[in-house]
Amino acid sequence: MKKLITLEINGELTELSVEPSESLLQVLRRQYGLTGTKRGCDSGGCGCCTVHLDGKAVYSCMVFASSLQNRRVTTIEGLTGDGELDPLQTAFVEKGAVQCGYCTCGIIMTAKEFLSHESDPDEEQIRHAIAGNLCRCTGYHKIVEAIKTAGSGS
Amino acid sequence: MTKTTVVGQSVLRPDAYEKVRGGKGFPVNVTLPGMLHAKLLRSPYPHARIVGIDASEAEKLPGVKAVLLPEDVPQKKFCPVFFVPTMAASMIQDMLILSNTVRYTGQPVAAVAATSIEIAEQALELIDVEYEELDAVFDTESAMRDGAPRLHEAAENNIAKNPVFEFGDLEAGFAEADHIFEGTYKTQRAHTCYMEPRVCVVDCDADGRLTVHSSMQHMFGLREKLAFALDLPDSMVKVIKPPYIGGGFGGKLDIGYIEPIAALLSRKTGRPVRIEQTRFEDFISTTRNPIEVYLKTGIRADGTFTARYARSTLDCGAHATHGAEVIMVHGMFGILLTYRCQNQTWEGRTVYTNNMIGGGYRGYGSPQGCFAVESQIDEICNELGFDPIEFRLKNAHHEGDPHPFLQGFNLTTYRFEDCLRQGAERIDWTQRTSPDSKQGVLRRGVGLGCQPLWVSGCVGFPDIYEHSGAIITMNPDGTANLANATVDMGSGQITTLCQIAAEELGLRADQVRMTYADTETVPFDAPSHASRVTYSAGNAVKAAAADAKQKLLEVAAIMLDTDAGDLEVREGHVHQTGTDRKLTIAEVVTRAESPFVQMTAEGPMPTTIAEKGTIIGVSSLAPPSNPSPSSVEFVEVEVDTETGEVKVLQAVFAHDVGKLINPAAAEGQVEGGFQQGMGYALMENIQFDAETGTCLTGDFLDYKIPTAVEMPRRIESIFIESNEPTGPFGAKSLSEPCCTVPAPAIANAIFNAVGVRVKELPITPEKILAGLGKL
Repeated sequence: MKKLITLEINGELTELSVEPSESLLQVLRRQYGLTGTKRGCDSGGCGCCTVHLDGKAVYSCMVFASSLQNRRVTTIEGLTGDGELDPLQTAFVEKGAVQCGYCTCGIIMTAKEFLSHESDPDEEQIRHAIAGNLCRCTGYHKIVEAIKTAGSGS
Repeated sequence: MTKTTVVGQSVLRPDAYEKVRGGKGFPVNVTLPGMLHAKLLRSPYPHARIVGIDASEAEKLPGVKAVLLPEDVPQKKFCPVFFVPTMAASMIQDMLILSNTVRYTGQPVAAVAATSIEIAEQALELIDVEYEELDAVFDTESAMRDGAPRLHEAAENNIAKNPVFEFGDLEAGFAEADHIFEGTYKTQRAHTCYMEPRVCVVDCDADGRLTVHSSMQHMFGLREKLAFALDLPDSMVKVIKPPYIGGGFGGKLDIGYIEPIAALLSRKTGRPVRIEQTRFEDFISTTRNPIEVYLKTGIRADGTFTARYARSTLDCGAHATHGAEVIMVHGMFGILLTYRCQNQTWEGRTVYTNNMIGGGYRGYGSPQGCFAVESQIDEICNELGFDPIEFRLKNAHHEGDPHPFLQGFNLTTYRFEDCLRQGAERIDWTQRTSPDSKQGVLRRGVGLGCQPLWVSGCVGFPDIYEHSGAIITMNPDGTANLANATVDMGSGQITTLCQIAAEELGLRADQVRMTYADTETVPFDAPSHASRVTYSAGNAVKAAAADAKQKLLEVAAIMLDTDAGDLEVREGHVHQTGTDRKLTIAEVVTRAESPFVQMTAEGPMPTTIAEKGTIIGVSSLAPPSNPSPSSVEFVEVEVDTETGEVKVLQAVFAHDVGKLINPAAAEGQVEGGFQQGMGYALMENIQFDAETGTCLTGDFLDYKIPTAVEMPRRIESIFIESNEPTGPFGAKSLSEPCCTVPAPAIANAIFNAVGVRVKELPITPEKILAGLGKL
């Protein structure tokens, strides 16, 4: 039985019709074509689907779309203001932190929220902050460097 | 060594800009108008015959457009592996798209295409399958016993393949030995864990032609396998090159069930059909085969090998798939060819069981072998008092030696000793202390593991495709397009191949762009596997660039009224050597592409027939050799003797690379390979229910892979450069050894820390505590 809800996605108010079992991840990809948010597992195990919900990083595969009435969602597509890359995105490119890229957006979203309340974090803090995001290509090394660079504002 | 300006630089990846913003190019994003969604019904039994299927209720469900049953598919057995022709003699053709005989829990038995995934899932529940359960076997010992259920007619005692290699006189070798060591080493089933699931969209047009999008590591192999399985000529199948895919690591090197099933459903419905596997389905689709290795080794008092015997038993599961080749690579590069010894015998057995099928995975059998060999060497050194580095060097191959297996090739560059010595220095190897001298709850140890001899591609192997091609087209703006069938799964081929082309053409890396391609428009390229792309595809790209360059110089020669032999490219210009005369590459290409009267800033300029024509360079060739890189890893661990937990503190990796094309990308391979090798060593294990064969670790919550927290804080890469004369700008390969050497290094470091030798991966805390006598 579909339900009609209103929510904000990347700064835009939108009306959405959702099934009870639909996840935020499914809605973003299927109904909005926002393919930057990705499915790696669908069981809250990998973090590829990370978005911000009311400013907090969450696994979108674990959020029921029907719970989103009046809430604010930000995806990777909402990170780029005025066409300019976010410092995190630039750092990921410049530090060689992107290989296949499938986990990248989820990690950037996690890191973005983390850096919003933690300025100039050290390596340990960063590693723990992204412990909920799996990567199989990079070994995380350059990802941690990129987040450190973006976090120190350099 | 030739001086290079683009090759050797850590050029930023052009695809990274798009990937940090979302990444539109992943195959998982492909949608086509009218597309249907399909799901597979999978067997709940490990061994059964299908007595009846009734899909009539499923067909009636609104939204269901087609159902596929075993009776609907061509009964044509095939081998799904991409890098060989389907009927290759080295492989075993024992799979059907859908079969009435089930041989593993999770094997697909039917499929439904519907207007939504949800409807397709509902429809599966309406398909009634009557199974006659049969006795099942889940381990190789039981499977090989007389009286065990026979899983394939052609395989007596369920032995799918039984290669044996014998060199010299083993008996004499053991007779000569002063010491003999024996041991059995076991490795587990592990998963590649590519983050982008296996997914495909197949569209069958009115003429029966298929267009295929898939997250796969090989375009042409997919075309060939799909055409074979569906009884079509190759030219009726077109595979579109994905701009990039979300990881592969060897787990996307075979035709899954999904592509042929999607093709048949598309043919039935006249609409494109998409199938995306769930993570659970991915976990049961493709794995690293578990191998049990028995080693018996004879040593002289001076530490040299007199005899080496090994017997390896590989569990390939329900179908041979990659298992027929993994056993060979394992036997050769994981065991026999690692060190010099005149008297060696190796026996391999690939055994059918009712476990899940295996796939390719980085290293392809060599991690299982190197774990055994390097662990035993460590035992030998510890027992007899040899230094682990000097012992290995005593038995190592030498630069200039004939290749120990591939006929007609030499080890033209071989820097194993440099890898050992430089790595040892970087980790302060001489500061190591013995396990007995250590005290306290937390104990540290340093260990080393090697892959002394690896490959750069597949030249020299029978049956395996090994040729590449490229097309380079120059643009009037002075840039170049590179069209090539290599799939980039994250290892950076897009970038490194463009660097090679740019170096040859005198351009910057960002002036060469990797373009669209499909199997109808570019030459064949073998898969992204076997550490081959830099060396093999790189050679082809360099040749195509040289071909384009020659034509460019010929046009420029006319423009400058000189000979092409007097010209060279450099920094975006064509220079007349030894003079100040030059033209920009853009000017030359513009001249070639212009009409007979060219409009220039200075007014109309007549040109000649000889200067006209798009500047294109083409190549299609096999690489000339198969040079051997060499790899060593040193690892320091800290073991908690109360909990058995292992923390990896640091790793130093040294690799004999030839020429480094892109240092940052190479480091990325080492760091990523360490994550995989470390997971394999300490925590990864696909497990099954002992009675039903159901996978128990089908998601990331139960199957643990290292996160950023578990990784060592320091991973250092030492790249030993030399000039491999047959490689593009002197390069050899890199990517697989990074994943092979961590496990033995970690196992040996653990022994050095606490004196516990674990011969079965993964090395869990329980095993360490048991070794300490605490469990």
